[in-house]
Order: sequence, then C-alpha cells, then structure tokens
Amino acid sequence: MAAPLALLLLFFALPNALLLSASFVKSEAQQLTHELTLENYQFLFTRPLYIWAFVRTFIVGVSVGLIDVVLGYPLAYFLVRTRSRWKGVLIALALAPLLASVVVRTYGWYIILNRFGVANDLLLALGAIDERIAFMPSTGAIVIGLAHALLPYTVLTIMGSLQGINPNLELAAMSLGANRVRTFFDVVLPLSFPGIAGGFILSFSIAISAYATPAILGGPATQVMATAIYGFMTQLLDWSIGAALAVILVVCAVALAYVAARIGARQGAL
Amino acid sequence: MAQTLRRRLLKGAAAAVAAPYVITARSQETLIVNTQGGEYQELVERVVIRPFEKKFGVKVIHDATGTASQDYAKIRASRGAPGFDVAGLLTPPEVILGVKEGMLEKLSEREVPNLRHLWDKTWQVIPPGSGAPHTLQYAALVYHKEKLERPRSWDDYWEPQKKYGDKVKGHVIQYNPANLLSVYALIHAAQLGKGGVDNMEPAWQRLKAQKSYVGVVVTGSAEAVPHFENGQVWISPYWSARSGYYIDRGLPFEMIIPEEGVIGLFDVACVPVGAKNKKLAYEFLNWRLDPAIQREWALAYFSSPTRPGVELPAKFAASQLTTQEQIARTQFPDSDVIGARRKDWTLKWQEIMG
Repeated sequence: MAAPLALLLLFFALPNALLLSASFVKSEAQQLTHELTLENYQFLFTRPLYIWAFVRTFIVGVSVGLIDVVLGYPLAYFLVRTRSRWKGVLIALALAPLLASVVVRTYGWYIILNRFGVANDLLLALGAIDERIAFMPSTGAIVIGLAHALLPYTVLTIMGSLQGINPNLELAAMSLGANRVRTFFDVVLPLSFPGIAGGFILSFSIAISAYATPAILGGPATQVMATAIYGFMTQLLDWSIGAALAVILVVCAVALAYVAARIGARQGAL
Repeated sequence: MAQTLRRRLLKGAAAAVAAPYVITARSQETLIVNTQGGEYQELVERVVIRPFEKKFGVKVIHDATGTASQDYAKIRASRGAPGFDVAGLLTPPEVILGVKEGMLEKLSEREVPNLRHLWDKTWQVIPPGSGAPHTLQYAALVYHKEKLERPRSWDDYWEPQKKYGDKVKGHVIQYNPANLLSVYALIHAAQLGKGGVDNMEPAWQRLKAQKSYVGVVVTGSAEAVPHFENGQVWISPYWSARSGYYIDRGLPFEMIIPEEGVIGLFDVACVPVGAKNKKLAYEFLNWRLDPAIQREWALAYFSSPTRPGVELPAKFAASQLTTQEQIARTQFPDSDVIGARRKDWTLKWQEIMG
C-alpha cells in the first residue's frame, strides 16, 4: 500500500506541484525568473484567444462525451443482450478501432474532411454543393475525430454496467405489466446510469486532454488547451504560461469529472 | 546445494546476456547525436555520421527526434543533460537562449579548430563560440510550376489574388509562427509595407487579406510536404534545402529568390553543458565544418556551406549562398528580438487565423 502511494506521489503529485509553482513565476524573454506573479493567469484570462481555447476544449469534451454515450449505449446494449453465436466476434469488431493508433485513425478523418477530401468530392458529385467546403480545421472536425476514437471506451464502460444488471429485474417488471419500452426506461436505464456516467467521464477526460487529434484536425489555428500547452512549452519555450494553462486544465477537469461522478452516483443510487 | 547451483546458473545467464553490451561499452567510445527524422536522418547518417565513425573508430547513436525548439526544451528540462552529447540541429533563437540560460558549452578554436574558417557574419547571428553552424539555407518561395506562373515578389505569396485571381483560393499555405519559416515570411510581409521586426503591422494587414485564400495551415515544415505532393498547395515560403531536395526527387515545384531578397538561416550544432562525452562531441562539431564534409553535405542536402572556399559545381552553386557578397546581401534578423517577440507575434497570428 505504501509503495504504490509513494510512486503515485512521486510521479503525479510532485510534477503537478512543480507545474503549479512554475505557473506563478514570471517569465521574461522565454526565461523563468525568480519573481512571483499572477500575470500568467491574467494573460490567459484576458486574451479572447485563450478563453476560446478553454471554452472550445470543454465544448469538445462535453460533445464527445454526449455523442459517445448516445452512440455507445445502443451498441453496448446490443452486444450485451445478443444471443448470436457471433457475439464474441461482434464485440471484437466494436473494439477493433483500438488496434489502430489514434494518429492513423485521425488521418483517416483528415482524408475524408479536408477541402479536397472524400466528403467534398462526394457532395460535389451529388450536386449538393457548388463550392468546396472547409470542414476542417474546425471544432466540429475535432469532435468527430475524437468521438470516433473514444467510442470503444464508452462502449466497454457501459457494457460493464449492463452486464451487472440482474435479468430477473426486467422479467419481474414485465410480469407486472410493463412493456419492453417501459421496462427499459424504468428499470434498465436507471440501473445502468453509473455506466453511462463512467463512459461520459472517461471520454470527456480523454477528449479534453487529447493532443494528436486536435493538432491534426484543428491545426494551429483552432487551438484547444492541450495544443496551446504544447505550443507554449516546446515551441515558444514560455514555461510559465504553459504551466498556468496546464494547471487550469487539470483543476477544471478534476472538478467537472468529480461533479459528473457525483451526479452519476446519485442517479445510480435512485 | 540445488539453490547454489540455480544461483550460479542465473548469474551465468545474466552475464552472458549482458556481455555484448559491457564489451561494446568498454571497447568502443560512444557519442549520442541528436538531429531530426524524415529525409534528414538518412542523409546525415550517410554523409556525416558513418564517415565520422569510420575515421575515428567510434560508435555514434543517432537520436533522430524532435524539432529545434523541442530539442532545446529537452535540454532545458534536463538542466543541460538531455541524454545526447550533440544537439545537432538548433537554430539561432535556441542557441541565443541556450547561452543566456547557461545550457550550452562555450566553444573555442582550441576545441573546434574549424570555427576559425566560418563566414565573418556568423558571429553576428549567434554569440561567438556558442556552437558550430554547419548548414546555411534560406527561406525561399516555392510554387507549383504546372498550376501557377512564376512569382517574382513576396507579394505574389502574400496577396496571391492580385497575380493569380480566384483560382489560387484554397491553395495557399500558412505556417504557425512557432516555425521560424513563418516568422521569416511575416518579416518579409512587414517589409513589403515598409515595416520590419519593429513594426509588424503591415504583416498583419497582409495576413488578414490572405486568409481567405489559405487552404492549409500547419506548424512544422515537414507537415507541408504531403500537401505539396497531393497538389493542394501551390505557393509557399519554404526552406531552400528541403525545397531543393524534394524538387530533385520530382516534386513539380520550382524554387525562386524573390526580388526583395531572402532571409538566411544557420543550422547549428551545440554541446549541452551536461554532455557525457564532450571531447568526442567537439571532434564531431569540427568534423561537420571540415571542407570535404561541408561539400558533401551541401550537395546532399541542397544547402550552402558555412565557410568560404568550398568548391561546388557552378549550376548547383547558382541557387546557393557561396560568396561573401551573397552572404552580405542576405538578411539575418536579430534572433534575440525574434525570441523576445515571438510569443506576441504568435498570439496575433492565432487571433487572425483562428
């Protein structure tokens, strides 16, 4: 118990403490000074560009979480309840995207969404558009890419929750006169709420800290917090502002994940 | 008894597994050199690293990862001990910062004798003795020769609609100022409007006007190559060395020096203060400046030597900076100023392009 805790402290708490301290240090001409300041936070909260990066990050996180829950739930339900002898194969197929690197999957979307990509070619061929549309770089493209990349995680989480529901409860509801739809909404859905919340939190957390997909589908002109942090840390070499951004991201993500977990737990307990 | 035998067997097996590494480490000196991947990796290994290994009887481990700023971030994060002995591909802004922060070894002609042969202008660009500039290139203008007429001015990139009309819409590329290529192109844009590093306003006006014609936005220079290859980008500022390399391999592009001139860039090899094998690192830096290696490297990478007197074929030399006059005419903006203002420029660029 003590060893894992020490490891956690060493590799999580300590770097985060260093990050926190760097965020309060003034940086001049790319160099950290010894002067304490709140200027880094002031800089970030007074620039619309970074306020938008912050807002965009959470729009992406919430959108990806919701899309994955909406798409993932029916799939998870089907995979848990199907009696097909191909059940194992179907589950493997649903999780197959995890076998490819997220960069490869994202470049798949790049080929589809770019101005001279498959989507534009198709719409032009169908006569739906006259001029090519810039689907990317955009927030929408980031959401699509991440929702696709993270769907298997949500499916797995919801499947775990659905598998834990005693089938006799559904039989009991139906024996008392409830039809399949009412049984689903009154019994299955509330009981699977912890899985829904878990799936949402998982995809939300990964989405708000994702770097590769926003970097490829959003590019340098459509920043989210992860790409902005990377830019400050390794391209502009301004570690103070990079650290302040990272602190904001970690604090907000933990707070929102905590709220979502509480809501999920409360709904599950009802 | 059985336990003792098992221990002996295990010790024997461990020694057998470790032996090749122990023997190699003891018998051959090792140098770790960081540069970058892509086409650069194969070239630098073939032209510079393998001949160095052969001549000095040493082993070079080539760490082909990261860009100049990422590599400097590693040096800074490790307080000068990034795990490589030579930072082989820094640019002037990182070198200047490295000297200020005390992360790079100060060099003299005693350690690196070939430093005395560099172009006179070298030490105006980076602090004296801060590194070994081994490659000289410039930010050229490249265009798709099957799609566009030959451009003449930087204005043909910044205001492409004037020369090419609407057909160029979506075929112009922009680079994030985190890439020095973008900074240099912005400086040219500022100069077109009588501005410069001290007044970038004309550059922002041109960026706003150009925005609706931009189809691709990237950060790294290497990221642009697929867009050149698939015909999406028709006009771009681009490093002369890489341009020459890809054009030689059949890319339907041509590289020009616009009438306003170009901005030059030195690629610099430095030794981090915490390098383990400094002696061999200095030998490597000296090797990079050797006239024969300078010639081979220039021809392989389509770049210019960083010292006078390197004989190159006339046709090749025509697109390179090889004379004192050409070097004198080439702009080398103050990298200290660029370093200090890059954050604000990036912010402004992002506000316009976002």
